[in-house]
This record gives sequence, structure tokens and C-alpha cells, in this order.
Amino acid sequence: MKRYSPPLLLCRFIGSILPVTYNDFLLGDLIEEYAIRLETTSQLAACLWFLSQTCRSLPSMVWSLLRRDWLIRIRTAIVVYLGMAMLKIAAGLVISKAFAPRQTAHVIIGPILFLITAAIGGFAVARIREEATIFLALFVIVSVVTSIALNICPIPVPWWYQFGFLTLGPLMVLMVPAAVRSIKPAAGRPAL
Amino acid sequence: MERGELLGSLEYIVLLALMRLDGCGHGMLVRREIEQRTGRDISIGAVYATLERLEEKKYVSSFTGEPTPQRGGRAKRVFKVEAAGKLALKTTEETIRSMTADLKHGLERI
Repeated sequence: MKRYSPPLLLCRFIGSILPVTYNDFLLGDLIEEYAIRLETTSQLAACLWFLSQTCRSLPSMVWSLLRRDWLIRIRTAIVVYLGMAMLKIAAGLVISKAFAPRQTAHVIIGPILFLITAAIGGFAVARIREEATIFLALFVIVSVVTSIALNICPIPVPWWYQFGFLTLGPLMVLMVPAAVRSIKPAAGRPAL
Repeated sequence: MERGELLGSLEYIVLLALMRLDGCGHGMLVRREIEQRTGRDISIGAVYATLERLEEKKYVSSFTGEPTPQRGGRAKRVFKVEAAGKLALKTTEETIRSMTADLKHGLERI
């Protein structure tokens, strides 16, 4: 019998996008069929199959997740998002009092504050209602897109600076709970 | 006689696959059954999304199975066809049968 080792990166990716209740069944099924496929095909073919299944499965799983009990999940995400915003404002005020409120300092400290509050928000929402994490990530995307559209930043910044907010913000919201889960895996299951 | 609702095409295929698995199975088995029978390379996510929709309609029920080493220590979600699901299957099959009854020659020419 061939030794099976499912693509770790894809497993982590699924684990970070979907909450445990969803990714457990999906990953379990993919790993089970991956092992069956390894018996008849090459590892490359099995990996490609795993990749194709991941890419095609995630949209329908995310849609299914958004559709189910969406009202209560949105409510949780809104509460956590407001908490995040207040925390960011409070931290911003403290820092601008402590350091001179220079624009360059603002440009450097701004992203750090944003990522820390996104990480805290991701952790908090996952503790309250894990399925609401994806809504919080969507809120972060919408708020960043809105601030880019309204040109809130006081000084001109390069495109990659704004792109960093757009990608790293929702990633922090999604990845932090997944990282915490991988540090403390469920009993009887190896950490991914 | 009570009549069930008409099923969508994917719902119909997924329920039929579950019936072929003695009315009970998890996502991977349903996906493989569909692939083997129809040649359609359906995604596991689409199977789960359909099964969840069927569960909301009370056509199937689900329970969590035991984790196994083959699944990397992960539990499986086992789905079971309920009486309402069987009724919906019967209604859909009868509807399709009655709609295609006199079309045999027409369909053969395609």
C-alpha cells in the first residue's frame, strides 16, 4: 500500500477558509478519496485532483455557509467589527498622543494597527461564532474598498500599500483562528 | 395520495446516488457513485451544498460518524434518505416518465 500524504498547503488553505464543522467533513472526504486515488494513479495526478476539487468545492461550500443562518452570523460579525473599529481608534489615539502625529509615522503605524485589530477580531469572532468569521472578512474587504474609493489616506501612497490592506486584512481575520486551531488540534487528530 | 415536490436535477441525482448506497452514505461515497454512474466529475463541495439543501427540505437527515485514520482522524457526516425524500424522488421520476412517454422516437434522433 502506498503511503498517502495529502497536500499540506491545500489542507491548511481549506482549514483557514472554512470553520471546523465544515472543513472536517470536506477535508476528511478529500483525504479519503485522495488515498484511494493514490492506489491507481501517480501522486502528481492525485495532487492535481485534490487541487481541482479544492478550487471547485470552496465556492459552493462558502455559498452554502453564507446562506445558512446568515442573519445571526452577520449580527455577530457586525458586533465584532464595531469592537475592532473602536479598538483601532483608541489605539490610534494613544499612539498619536505618545508619538508626534507625523504623517510618515501614521503611514507606518496604520497598517500594523490594522493587522493587529484584524487578528484580534478574527480570533474573537471565531470564539463567539466560528461560522461568522467569513462575514467579518467580507466586512473588512468592504471597508478597505470603501476607504480606497473615498481616498481617506491623507498622503499619496503606492498601489501596493492599499493592496496590502485589501489582502492581508481579510487573511488575518481568516488565518488567525486557523492558526490557533492548528496549535491546539482536536483530540485524536494530527495538527495540519 | 400525497404528492412530493419536484426535485432539481442535481438534487435528483444526489438523492438517487444515496438510494443506491442503501439510503445512507457520506459525501465522498455519493460523489464517487455519481462519477461512476454518470461520468460527471462533480465536486465534493457541490455534493455537500446539495445535501444541505435537501436536509433543509427534510428530504435527508445527517449524523456525525466516527473519525477514521483513512480520513486523517476526521469525522464523516453521514446522510440518510427520509420518507419525504423518497416521496419527492417518486414524484420527480413519475413526472419525468410521463413527460418523456411519447418522446422516445424524437429523442433517439438527437
